[in-house]
Amino acid sequence: MKIELKRLEIQTRRDQELVDVTPLVEEAIAASGVTRGLVNVLTMHTSSGIIVTEGLECLERDVLAHLERLAPEQGEYWHNRYLDIDGRLGFNASAHLRSILGGVSATFPIEDGRIVKGSRQRIYFAEYDGPLSRTCCVQILGE
Amino acid sequence: MIDFHTHPLLVREMFERDPDLARIARDVFYIRNNPQPLETFLLELDVAGLERAVILPIDCSSSRGFRIYSNELIAELCGLSDRLIGFASVDPHSRAAGRELERAIRGLGLQGLKLSPSSQGFYPNDRELAYPVYEVASELGIPVLFHAGLSWEPGARMKYGQPIYLEDVAADFPDLRLVVAHFGWPWVLEAVALALKYPSVYIDTSCLYFDNPTDFLAFVMTRQIPLSVAERSLRNQIVFGSNYPRVEIKNMARAVRRLGLSDGCLDLIFRANAERLLGHAGRQEAAR
Repeated sequence: MKIELKRLEIQTRRDQELVDVTPLVEEAIAASGVTRGLVNVLTMHTSSGIIVTEGLECLERDVLAHLERLAPEQGEYWHNRYLDIDGRLGFNASAHLRSILGGVSATFPIEDGRIVKGSRQRIYFAEYDGPLSRTCCVQILGE
Repeated sequence: MIDFHTHPLLVREMFERDPDLARIARDVFYIRNNPQPLETFLLELDVAGLERAVILPIDCSSSRGFRIYSNELIAELCGLSDRLIGFASVDPHSRAAGRELERAIRGLGLQGLKLSPSSQGFYPNDRELAYPVYEVASELGIPVLFHAGLSWEPGARMKYGQPIYLEDVAADFPDLRLVVAHFGWPWVLEAVALALKYPSVYIDTSCLYFDNPTDFLAFVMTRQIPLSVAERSLRNQIVFGSNYPRVEIKNMARAVRRLGLSDGCLDLIFRANAERLLGHAGRQEAAR
């Protein structure tokens, strides 16, 4: 069995946004040579996520707006304090909570060297505290 | 629109040029975030609705044996983007501080001086150590930004950061434009008193020591002092500063905009006061 790991660097450009990484995942699968197996996409950051939804701009807005309603920026968060491990205050609890709510990974089957997904499904890197240069792991397992 | 208080502690391109920067950011300032490309810093400004940022070094080479960015490296970083406004830093404990400041301004094109009495271990009104530096700054006509108030840095001592020690400087160098950083917190009233008394004293907004930027700044600017002080008395003497990367620029900008100040006052804080401090307003007027 082949196991390939690729780290994608994604420069986000806004405070919050969904970045469609589907083509990058498809490229990684093609480059791996794996024809049958699984691909797992995982964000490396606790204030970002991986979301799978239909590739429509209106839905992208709805996803972010809904997560904002569930975990508003202003709130009574325990995380709002100085963190000596970081040399700064942790006032981005809402971004961490959105990451938990939206999820941090997605797994798809690979068949005949291609990702198996619904025709409308897109894989998004979800930025909840940007802009930042982020890392997203794509691991491909199979033969 | 200008952020008057940023530290380029996470710029990956500069870490590659000077690997010691990463160690100092981590060990001295406890900044543990991953380095970011310069593009992220510029995007931070975009998201906050700002055009330019003052980038600040700190020279503790004589007092403690390290510096956060040399003046040359600040000038090099400014060469990568015209959105960056470089300040110099010199260590008052060095006998060559005045000459170094003159070289940094005239030779490297830097536009102001950053001093951090808490990190550099001197009282701002120390005539022997600090006054020769102020004399040069005064001759050069540049603003001097002082760290004031609490310092998170483990090796720094807060006693040197009490704003009251700046009164002698303001009185003895009336033409020197001074910026009291971080609202001087927790000595907010001292900082405000200085600015009320001396029109050459400015205050920057880069203060955050508990809760979050919005709540903390509201505490300082609406409860420690009434908001009317900023709106009426100090509208020409407050400049926006974020203290990035300890606080993201977008979060501090949002906090200032949420205070309830008038549009006119916000324009002064985000733009006009900083331009005046930098001497840009004067130059533009002279060019007309």
